[in-house]
Amino acid sequence: MVKTKTKIEEEIQAIFNSDKPWVTIVWDDPVNLMTYVTYVFMELFGYSKERATELMLKVHNDGKAVVSTGSREEMEHDVARLHECGLWATLQRGDQAL
Amino acid sequence: MNEESGFTRHGNNAFVAQFSESEREVLINLAGQIIELLSERSDHADEDPLAAMVGITTHDSPPDDEVLLRLLPNAYADGVDAAEFRRYTESVLRNKKKAHAMSMRVLLKSAQDGAIELDHDNANAWLGAINDIRLALGVRLNVQERSHDELELLAPDDPLRGVYAVYSWLGWLQESLLQALMDDSPNEVN
Repeated sequence: MVKTKTKIEEEIQAIFNSDKPWVTIVWDDPVNLMTYVTYVFMELFGYSKERATELMLKVHNDGKAVVSTGSREEMEHDVARLHECGLWATLQRGDQAL
Repeated sequence: MNEESGFTRHGNNAFVAQFSESEREVLINLAGQIIELLSERSDHADEDPLAAMVGITTHDSPPDDEVLLRLLPNAYADGVDAAEFRRYTESVLRNKKKAHAMSMRVLLKSAQDGAIELDHDNANAWLGAINDIRLALGVRLNVQERSHDELELLAPDDPLRGVYAVYSWLGWLQESLLQALMDDSPNEVN
């Protein structure tokens, strides 16, 4: 019984523990220009041209890339801004298999 | 487009282009279509006016229309989370995209000589608007399935041939604006 209670407490703790990172993923899209995707990463996240280009190439070559990490609220904000620019983005828990 | 130059940078914060009358008309027309498309189902009679005022919509299912779904995609793979997110954000997203297209349309309409000058903020609105139009045309052209070569070889009488020509031209125009913006961009000094 004690163990069960501890387990529940741990689970509750895990739910309230906002340190759990969430991730924003950008998916490859045949329409968006490579230059545009790079530019959007620079504008929205303040990434250097090198970092933004590297991420864009990862999206292009692997089909997707994690472009930012943080709290769920922060990632929802990032996804909304990416959608505004027309990029195909989703968010999910960082510990889920990518 | 004169001299095939597209947008060029003038000084620190000006991006200029010269459009022909037919180019101007095509852009005004396409921006208008995007505005119309994004306005669909946003003013339902059964909409709770108070909720609508703060950007909450009563519908939360993804759009049926393929083009709208691409412009307003799901934020979560999970359907329940996606619906919840959509309920609170979709109308804001629609309005922002509409604002981009409207900004482009208004500027083009007032520039009767076809001379356009954008500052950085306007340029970002144009990039978004051009991209939304390209996404919409891309769905109609089925670029997801068709290869570039296949689209290049469309028959002269194929109605999609004209769509593809506009789609390609918009890509070229967007690229020229991007090059003008990224030329000497302060972000490069990192």
